[in-house]
Amino acid sequence: MPPILAIEKLSKSFPAVRAGDDVRALSDIDLFIEEGEIFGIIGKSGAGKSTLVRCINFLERPTSGEIVFNGVCLSSLSKAELYHTRQSMGMIFQQFNLLAQRNALRNICFPLEVAGWDRQKARQRASELLELVGMSDKAGAYPAQLSGGQRQRVAIARAIAANPRILLCDEATSALDPETTHSILALLKDINARYGITIIVITHEMPVIEQIATRLAVLDEGRIVEAGRTSEVFAAPQSEAARRMLVRPQHEDGLIAAAARRYFESQGMALEEVIRDYAQ
Amino acid sequence: MLSSFSVDGGMLLAGIGQTLYMTLASALLAYLIGLPLGVLLAVTAPEGIRPLRMLNTVLGFVVNVLRSVPFLILLILVIPLTRAIMGTSLGPSATVVPLTVAAAPFVARLVEASLAEVDQGVVEAAWSMGASPFKIIMKVLLPEARSSLLLGATIAAITILGYSAMSGIVGGGGLGDIAIRYGYYRYETSVMFVSVALLVVIVMVLQALGNRWARSIDKKASAPSGMAFGLFGSGMPLGGRKAEKIGQSAVPAENKDEDAAT
Ligand SMILES: Nc1ncnc2c1ncn2[C@@H]1O[C@H](COP(=O)(O)OP(=O)(O)OP(=O)(O)O)[C@@H](O)[C@H]1O
Ligand SMILES: [Mg+2]
Repeated sequence: MPPILAIEKLSKSFPAVRAGDDVRALSDIDLFIEEGEIFGIIGKSGAGKSTLVRCINFLERPTSGEIVFNGVCLSSLSKAELYHTRQSMGMIFQQFNLLAQRNALRNICFPLEVAGWDRQKARQRASELLELVGMSDKAGAYPAQLSGGQRQRVAIARAIAANPRILLCDEATSALDPETTHSILALLKDINARYGITIIVITHEMPVIEQIATRLAVLDEGRIVEAGRTSEVFAAPQSEAARRMLVRPQHEDGLIAAAARRYFESQGMALEEVIRDYAQ
Repeated sequence: MLSSFSVDGGMLLAGIGQTLYMTLASALLAYLIGLPLGVLLAVTAPEGIRPLRMLNTVLGFVVNVLRSVPFLILLILVIPLTRAIMGTSLGPSATVVPLTVAAAPFVARLVEASLAEVDQGVVEAAWSMGASPFKIIMKVLLPEARSSLLLGATIAAITILGYSAMSGIVGGGGLGDIAIRYGYYRYETSVMFVSVALLVVIVMVLQALGNRWARSIDKKASAPSGMAFGLFGSGMPLGGRKAEKIGQSAVPAENKDEDAAT
């Protein structure tokens, strides 16, 4: 079976803010996402994760390379065709991005209105989805009246309302506490199992990947430095970036060491050097 | 002089009527022109949903030029236009023409500012669901900005009211006309004071109503719309841009464009 999504030789540069070199956010990304899988992409802040998801649905136009979704090159599409294609690509966000002036039910109706559904059918479908995400009792609530976890549930319902083939999640749980994160990931897993929607999860949190992804890629400074089955990469990370992102420190000392390493690296020093200096 | 207390109530009532008529008619016409213009300005801005540099620059320039002409001068400049449209340059109906010309670019800027306040993340979500720019305008920008738009409309109406009073200088009718004719030309200060007091009351009522209405339709403020804004606590009628935010909840930092924040 051909992959539902192929990312081929994708690069993205942003024009330099001031005089200088362009910011190269992504370099030569090659990824193939299979239909029905949950694919994780992990990377630290600034690695290019958001840029990558935004390239997948062409919110950002790649500088070079190609996105092939369901056999169609997105760059070959006209604007109208692109808008239509996006209806088969749901997306959820760290900040939920619900319409503040619409209640939960009408938020879910939004993509259906965009897709030209009739009002009554859209409401019907929206109610079903509210039920699916366990929010039936909040149909009339406005986003400001909902907790973060509840907002993300509504956002998920909205993202899958128009029956997309793929769901893109950009740091969808990063604004939530661990418990809520867990329940949102369980919901995503459930949706994946029930409807076979392919899910791409982008995060900087290792536990998220661990809980949900069947395969993963590690993004570092705009490049994929490692990819494979989650269990295998976790068991034996090959790259330095993967080790940094994925290995869970076993005890407090490990945590402290990891924190120190991260800190000194951000200062441009290696932990080993600092320790050597300290020992002298 | 005691006779100065004999204020003609009928005349003042007619003045109130004319002032309200001029204000509302001009506001309506100004929005007919200014609303689409403001949408166009917001949409074609560099950070808008359909950036069009040339069009935006040209529109912005025209709006700026119109806005920088002092109203009294504009009033005189458009007299030929007023005559051509209304047959006369005197009276409340004729004054609607210069008021509209003066208010439309102001309204355009108010609308532009309201739309620019809409959360970029929500717009991005709409793009991701396949909305076209037109649908984003109709289903996201305008509805999400409705409370801010309404506050802007209140400011516009009050500004127009102020201009309409100014047009009394050239016989525009309304309370301003009365204040100038009696107070300035005939030294009947009591009439002037009463007219001005009436203008103040109208301004306050308009602002209070606008604030309340705007709050009551704003679902972003999680607190229920209350009575916190009394009739007199809502001032700053002519405060321009700043007054726009009255009664609006602050946009939380987390609602900024997420790429900028992360
Ligand atoms: N619109 C833009 N203009 C210029 N540079 C940008 C733009 N968007 C992203 N970048 C740059 O591209 C790089 C990757 O950014 P991106 O937002 O994709 O990172 P991220 O992995 O999502 O980070 P975070 O975890 O903090 O969200 C950064 O160096 C960023 O400064
Ligand atoms: Mg990001």
